Amino acid sequence: MISIVVLILAFLGAFLVFLASVGILRMPDLFLRMSATAKAGTLGVGLMLFAAILHFQDFVITSRALAIIVFLFLTAPVAAHMIARAAYFDGTPLWAGTVRDDLKYHYQIATHTLDSQAHPAEETPAITVVEGDDFTEEG
Amino acid sequence: MIIDLGWNIIFGLLGLAFILTVFRLIHGPRLPDRVVSLDLITAEIIAVISVAAIRANQPAFLDVAIILALISFLGTVAFAYYIEQRV
Amino acid sequence: MNIFLLNVLLAIVWGALTGNFAPENLIGGFVIGYLILWLVFSSFPRIKYFHRFLLAIEFILFFLWEIFLANLRVAATVLSPRPHLRPGVVGIPLSLKRRAEIALLMNLITLTPGTLSLDVSNDRKILFVHTLWLESTDEFIQKIKDNFERRIQELFE
Repeated sequence: MISIVVLILAFLGAFLVFLASVGILRMPDLFLRMSATAKAGTLGVGLMLFAAILHFQDFVITSRALAIIVFLFLTAPVAAHMIARAAYFDGTPLWAGTVRDDLKYHYQIATHTLDSQAHPAEETPAITVVEGDDFTEEG
Repeated sequence: MIIDLGWNIIFGLLGLAFILTVFRLIHGPRLPDRVVSLDLITAEIIAVISVAAIRANQPAFLDVAIILALISFLGTVAFAYYIEQRV
Repeated sequence: MNIFLLNVLLAIVWGALTGNFAPENLIGGFVIGYLILWLVFSSFPRIKYFHRFLLAIEFILFFLWEIFLANLRVAATVLSPRPHLRPGVVGIPLSLKRRAEIALLMNLITLTPGTLSLDVSNDRKILFVHTLWLESTDEFIQKIKDNFERRIQELFE
């Protein structure tokens, strides 16, 4: 009986991870890709570790797997935030279908800070968008 | 039998996920996309490790998952810092 | 916080007295200790521990439900042949003040599929959120404030 529950949990986890990978392949820009991966991946892995907890039913393993789950849930949003911020400074373009961008003109490129007031366009030096592949550009 | 089939399907889904993510890793187009896909690949490896631990009945495999979770976070933060500072 | 430590202590004492430190026994001891403390302290209305404990449980259940719903939506979007997308970056005015609360709010927003918290302004007044489906900006801001921010405020005040 317990093996069926473990199987179902692991299957749900694998399906979520699979969804994340389809999302990262199909979504048109970086922020949409991160929306699809940051949690589908985290939740999928969390479900799989939960399946492992149910399978082994051992105190030491339970605490260990719970530690991984808590760590993943704490760090995945932080990592997503850092990559999004870095990508915005890097000049990653938003998808053409984006309907609203409140972040425009808020970042101070010189000091790498974010103000709550928007700055007029002429005060904010535009982020230079380098088209194409990073690695071939910089060698 | 049905349980074995179920586990095989799980391994198949995870393998397919790997292939799709590696395609994004190769395709780019920019460095942040690659960092995100590397992050997802690490999550997939953790998933495979936990499935393997259940299938082989070897709880010791989960230690590898802990180390990977720690290292992937540090790697992602280091990459993000690098991308931001090189502008 | 002190009452929480007292509660943990009671659970450990329960484990020691029954001579069984298995996790399920400790959890049972924790529940019994919680009831005892509630009986003892229920005459002091200023102590918020008991109310807060229930709020925390309700918050976790609500959050899991929200994650489940949003996951279904993301799954439909990702797998449909012509995905319905209206992405947008929205600045949400924050009424939370403390750093820990804002960090918790950011984590919860990111963990809910479909929304992604990008950054907080330097003076901690605006939180920038990226969303997959932006039908109406005011509605979206209201939803985040009602669902997440208000509950966090209740939990920590």
